[in-house]
Amino acid sequence: MIYILRRVAFYLAAFFVAVTLNFFIPRVMPGDPSARIIASFQGRLNEAQVEAIRASYGATGSLWEQYVGYVLQVLRFDFGISTVQFPEPTSSLLFYGATWTLVLVGIAITFAFLIGTMMGIHAAWNRGGFFDSVFTPLNVMLNAFTPAVVALLLFYAFSLELKWFPLGRAHATGLSPGFDLNFIGSVLYHATLPVLSILIVSFGGWHLGMRNVMINLLNEDFVILARAKGLSDRRVRYRYVARNAIMPQITSLALSVGFLLGGALVTEQVFNYPGLGKFTITAIESRDYSFIQAQLLLLTMSVLVANLLSDIANVILDPRLRKG
Amino acid sequence: MADITQTRAVSLLDRLDEAAFASAAPTQEELMRELRIKARPGWTSSLPPSLAAFVTNPKGMFGVILLLGLILFSILAPIFSDYNPHRRAGKPHVAPSYEHVLGTTRMGKDVYTQVAYGGRISLAVGFGAGLASAAIGLAIGIAAGYFGGRVDDILTFFVNVVLVLPGLPLIIVIASLVDSAGPLVIGIVLALTGWGWSARTIRTQTLSLRTREFVLSAELMGERKWRIILKEIFPNMLSFFMGGLVLGTISAILAEAALSFIGLGDPNAVTWGTMLYWAQNNMALQSGAWWEIWPPAVAIMLTGAALVMINFAVDEITNPQLKASRGIGRIKRYLRRRGRSADVF
Repeated sequence: MIYILRRVAFYLAAFFVAVTLNFFIPRVMPGDPSARIIASFQGRLNEAQVEAIRASYGATGSLWEQYVGYVLQVLRFDFGISTVQFPEPTSSLLFYGATWTLVLVGIAITFAFLIGTMMGIHAAWNRGGFFDSVFTPLNVMLNAFTPAVVALLLFYAFSLELKWFPLGRAHATGLSPGFDLNFIGSVLYHATLPVLSILIVSFGGWHLGMRNVMINLLNEDFVILARAKGLSDRRVRYRYVARNAIMPQITSLALSVGFLLGGALVTEQVFNYPGLGKFTITAIESRDYSFIQAQLLLLTMSVLVANLLSDIANVILDPRLRKG
Repeated sequence: MADITQTRAVSLLDRLDEAAFASAAPTQEELMRELRIKARPGWTSSLPPSLAAFVTNPKGMFGVILLLGLILFSILAPIFSDYNPHRRAGKPHVAPSYEHVLGTTRMGKDVYTQVAYGGRISLAVGFGAGLASAAIGLAIGIAAGYFGGRVDDILTFFVNVVLVLPGLPLIIVIASLVDSAGPLVIGIVLALTGWGWSARTIRTQTLSLRTREFVLSAELMGERKWRIILKEIFPNMLSFFMGGLVLGTISAILAEAALSFIGLGDPNAVTWGTMLYWAQNNMALQSGAWWEIWPPAVAIMLTGAALVMINFAVDEITNPQLKASRGIGRIKRYLRRRGRSADVF
């Protein structure tokens, strides 16, 4: 319990660092957002209008006042008003996009982790064999291929040429969201290619990680003892070795959530998928700073939550952590 | 009579035994041939051991040669091409021909020339950011591990923060505030956000080295701290530093490509990422101009593959069990061919 509390304290501190960074980065950069907006009107604004724009970006008062105001705003999930979808608050757009990104990345990460880990177990158990010497390098190389290319090729081959999959959107138009088979089927159909392109470039990492940790464990005394006791191969492989090797995997799974959420950007852009990344790109193009900053905070938050979940999972899997 | 039969029987058994031994226990040369183990070339003995291990590692050398080829290709670009990567060189979307080895883009720029020149910037950003982040990771990792106490607590906190902060979104925030982030800006930001992993591994290694005899004896002799760090600890960190460098470079090259691809980079710079950005914007695939998209894609893939191979070699040097696992496969196959149970573990 103390272990979990210590981790929670760290995550709160890390989130605070992210908020602080988010506050100071625009202010040390040449030309803060409000100055840009004001400049874009080329002097056609009067004093009161300039003040109003500065106030809506929280750029009035001393630096300290601005900072406190920003922190309080963030704690209320108030990320200001979107300049793209003008009267809409940024947060509603943010959470709409985040839902679809979570669908995409959630499915992809689950399958990538399962496939990669199973392959890693197999490769480590038959280390030096055919599977290990061919697929381990191959899968890891896939990991170093750029997501942009994989997504473009899949899109070109299956959406444009063969027309097996749709050209965009998260579900068919005319379907209202709900928990019926029609809608879920449509969502899965639209998510297939984006999920596949994230999957292809990410499962190699889990393969290599699992393999390397497992190989180190295979010579440990407890594994030799288990074999000497005459336990079946299956039992030694999964209950003894894999179970111990999975813990570092879960930790790096949580750390990779941020990377994957960020990487979904490219996939969503190619497949025209209405996720967080797609909106972020629109926001970049139209210089919607409040959205760009809010997406960093939201992604940081999801990484921290993922890390907390992995800590809890590790405590459940590893009795040694429960004492500390 | 009895005497003769006995000697005959013994000699027969002896000969059977000899034959059995001969078939069961091959000579060292036979074993090496059968297991495809090559003796290390003599000249490697004059190299430092870790370098010798790297040079004799087939995966690692394959990666190094591939990478050197790519670097040479982009450095020697002007010799092979008369075109300017930024200028129109022909009609739009000309298919590969004698004039344009890899065709032209929609803007009529020569693709071959762009790949070669783009490689300079993409590789420079990748290696620059990789090197810088590995160096930051090394400095912070050694400092945290060696000094311990308060210093360690503070540094470890920052390492963990950098690890949990999502890198790409942070870069997007910074890059979007700078007007069209050029390759240099992207490289600097990647270096500043990518050192978490190497700092963590190096700190762990330093912690275990700090209590070893050679460090303790240097401390007892009254060596200065920076001298112990440089002379005693740093040489042992080289392979971990290499690992951090290789991984940092891969992620920097991929991140540069991703950032340029979504249009955050400077669209006038020629890099592999911006080439993909223009190819996507100009609907290269839709109009059948595969030659606009494949060359930069293949260049990125080859660079990634080369670095992954080098990383395999570095992994095998820092972790000998991984290297042994290659031999175990051969031994298993050897025993199976001889009809023994292949229960090597």
